[in-house]
Amino acid sequence: MPDYAFIGKNMPRIDSRAKVTGEAKFTADLKLPRMLVGKILRSPHPHARILNIDASEALRIPGVKCVVTGKDTRGTKWGVFGYTQDQEFLTRDKVRYVGDEVAGVAATTEDIALEALDRIRVEYEVLDAVFDPMEAILPGAPQLHEGFENNINIHVPINQGDVEKGFDESYYVREDTFTAAEDSYFQGEPYAVAARFDLDDNLEIWMPNAGPHMKAKPLSNALGIALNKVRVRKITIGGAFGGRSEICPGDYICALLARKTGRPVKIVYTREENSIATRQGHALITTLKTGVDRDGRVIARDVTCYMDGGGYSSTGPIATTVPFLCMEQAYRMDHVRYNGYRIYTNKPPRGMIRIHGRAFACGVDVQLDMIGEHLGIDPVDMRLRNARQAGDYTNTGSHVASCAMQETIVKAAEKAGWKEKWGKLPPLHGIGIGCNSVQTGFPMGIRGGSQAIIKMNEDGGATLISGVVDNGQGNDNMLVQIAAEELGIRPEDIQLISADSEVTPSDPGAYSQVSTFIGGHAVKNAAANVRNLLFETASNMLEADPSDLVARDRMVYVSGSPAAGIPLKKVIRKTLARGKAVSGEGDYWPKVDPKREWIKNPYGQVCGAFSFGTTIAEVEVDPETGQVRVLEVTVAQDVGFALNPLVLEGQFQGSIAMGGQGGVLTEAHTWDGGFALNPTQLEYKVPLACDMPKINTIIVESNDPEGPYGAKESGMSIAMSAAQAYAAAISNAIGVHMTDLPITPDKILKALEEKAERESGVGAPD
Amino acid sequence: MNRLPLELTVNGEPISLAVEPNRTLLEVLRDDLELTGAKEGCGEGVCGSCTVLMDGKAVRSCLTLALEASGSEIITVEGLSEGGALDPLQESFIEHGAVQCGFCTSGMLMSAKGLLLKDPHPTKDAILRTLGGHVCRCTGYTKIIEAVEATVDGSAEER
Repeated sequence: MPDYAFIGKNMPRIDSRAKVTGEAKFTADLKLPRMLVGKILRSPHPHARILNIDASEALRIPGVKCVVTGKDTRGTKWGVFGYTQDQEFLTRDKVRYVGDEVAGVAATTEDIALEALDRIRVEYEVLDAVFDPMEAILPGAPQLHEGFENNINIHVPINQGDVEKGFDESYYVREDTFTAAEDSYFQGEPYAVAARFDLDDNLEIWMPNAGPHMKAKPLSNALGIALNKVRVRKITIGGAFGGRSEICPGDYICALLARKTGRPVKIVYTREENSIATRQGHALITTLKTGVDRDGRVIARDVTCYMDGGGYSSTGPIATTVPFLCMEQAYRMDHVRYNGYRIYTNKPPRGMIRIHGRAFACGVDVQLDMIGEHLGIDPVDMRLRNARQAGDYTNTGSHVASCAMQETIVKAAEKAGWKEKWGKLPPLHGIGIGCNSVQTGFPMGIRGGSQAIIKMNEDGGATLISGVVDNGQGNDNMLVQIAAEELGIRPEDIQLISADSEVTPSDPGAYSQVSTFIGGHAVKNAAANVRNLLFETASNMLEADPSDLVARDRMVYVSGSPAAGIPLKKVIRKTLARGKAVSGEGDYWPKVDPKREWIKNPYGQVCGAFSFGTTIAEVEVDPETGQVRVLEVTVAQDVGFALNPLVLEGQFQGSIAMGGQGGVLTEAHTWDGGFALNPTQLEYKVPLACDMPKINTIIVESNDPEGPYGAKESGMSIAMSAAQAYAAAISNAIGVHMTDLPITPDKILKALEEKAERESGVGAPD
Repeated sequence: MNRLPLELTVNGEPISLAVEPNRTLLEVLRDDLELTGAKEGCGEGVCGSCTVLMDGKAVRSCLTLALEASGSEIITVEGLSEGGALDPLQESFIEHGAVQCGFCTSGMLMSAKGLLLKDPHPTKDAILRTLGGHVCRCTGYTKIIEAVEATVDGSAEER
């Protein structure tokens, strides 16, 4: 490893001081002069036509300043893609889920705003609703949107090779179906938005986001103002996990209220609203048919997946594809076919989530164990034989430049004591393994690249400008760490200006695992350009070739002679005195196939790099209660290169909590028709400190040739491999392959009971 | 609604206010006193993000009526660092990487502080039970637990 000053070292995050003192401001903490309280009236019906809205009584309440409805809008429909534009931010014709936005109110106090919501009279014509995707696709089911026959919102068809021929050639073929209920993000911070307009119709707006530019564009469209009049400001963000990657109707409603009243307005969602009316994770029904040779190598796989998409498209085409991508990246196979269907139902819209497609992901691994069991092959060997390798192409044509999947399997198995434990654990005690791969980014067209700008002052300090946003994972620190390394200054010498749509250049956003790979890369390139400028000056001062110079610890010197160096600030002043500004820019665009499209052409290079990893979980099941106790979890992840191991470990541990501990043991929404029964923090069970097992983290470095310093992704794929490992471990403990997620105590007890019945039936002829 | 007088000390400063009886301590801290370090994550006492110290004891300020705090001494996260010097817990959270998005951080700190005021040498079990009343969605808790443990005097075996 090169001798870096900051890269590769444990570095406490630059944003943590403000967060431990309470100084960091989140959106709900903002208070602007004359600010009003905004509230949203939501549909009580899962499916209904709006016949009339009468706000006159609400408007007569003293303190109510404004009511907005669909009539105040331009009728712009939102969709991430041109062909998925189906959601009005304030619906004019009908509502499609319990919680759909019907009207907005701005008032002087919260109590008055809530009173006003009660006094808005909405006349609905209630329509038949449909809540089950398998019912929604049947002829005669209630139709949610025009132009989407049988409520099929998205169909992703992929067909590579000859699957039928592959099955014919297989030694063993099996088909299994895996299911999972909807899950939720439960970010620490409930959604909030604050907005104000000036007299020139410039909007200033704050909200949790996964990319300020991704918010600005739809707001510009919906409000009918130029992009440079929408100023999405930087604010501390309390988590995203995929749930804040697109515009939220509340953003638009808040802006409308602010524009109409001429005063700042803030809307703070309740926890229930955050669960129901932002996004949720999809419910899935995934059928996997897999054919293998005698050694367990996958020859062909045919996957059909039905995803419950809720009322609107959201990130539909991406959401329908990503579970497939993770599978085809993680494991080799000769032939593959995929039919992914995203179906509209009268439930809240579903987006991307950290354990995206848990039934799909867990299904792939649990089924590998079923196959291994049939063939007498150890699960670790099953994975080693099928693991992706560097230099491969995925079935849909992405070149995998760096990959240490096999190394992660071997290292995790060694650390977890797999050989000593597999098949040798006492009853109700199990161990399981899961492998996953996540793509570092997607083809995003004109939003696919990031740019950074750096300017240096005569005192040696720098200002760094980047569009990358930090939603909690540590991106701010990553940007500063890279700039400090490249410029040879200290992190405290850098002022970061980021995630502001007015000041900072475009960036793909922090929701497709690209912040380091693309945004960090752009900062590295910008800093290198500034450094080269300084080396030009310094080469005269030191009478040396620029290529022999080093910038480190605020000095510039000839490599090997730090004692004879000159202060960096002197070089800056000299450069300025020469009449040259000490600033620079740099950008980075991933090498993706621009012709790849989610539905029309799902082939070609999908992103610049892929991360790979393995989780192994060891569990114990209580046969009386069905409770699972997780004893130890080991994770080995190929992150490319660890820029900051301290932050990475935190990502690993958080991924295990969300993906394994929560995602497999407890997390799911329950429903009564279109009503979610558990939208609150009390009812929806996320893991707590006392639930967490011992976690072993192993960082594996494959040094990606394109990644900055060799770095790739780390935050999402462990959440998925953890879910897979937990599902496999429970299955191993109880001797039943579990196919429905989450694996709650009632399902475990039922499985144990059925197993006992089966065994007594076979073993006791009477 | 009629307002009633409320006198209390917040972060060492005597405060005199008139508040409606239905207002929570969290609302008064955030809206009237502009101390926004305590957060509302759930509004029903589950997430722990609103935790403050009331007479040295950690309480959920979203479930505490402001008038219940009459005459008491409140410490919020803003009052944890005295004269600009960070509390050892705050330092430890930074050093151990226990902070990610930061939304739960102030509540975690105040509960941990409440525990250490009561018992300067808590067992790991006591730490887990205390932090078990808080929801963090980012960290998986490992580094938060490590950060609190690191501020406890004496080795883990002795405790």
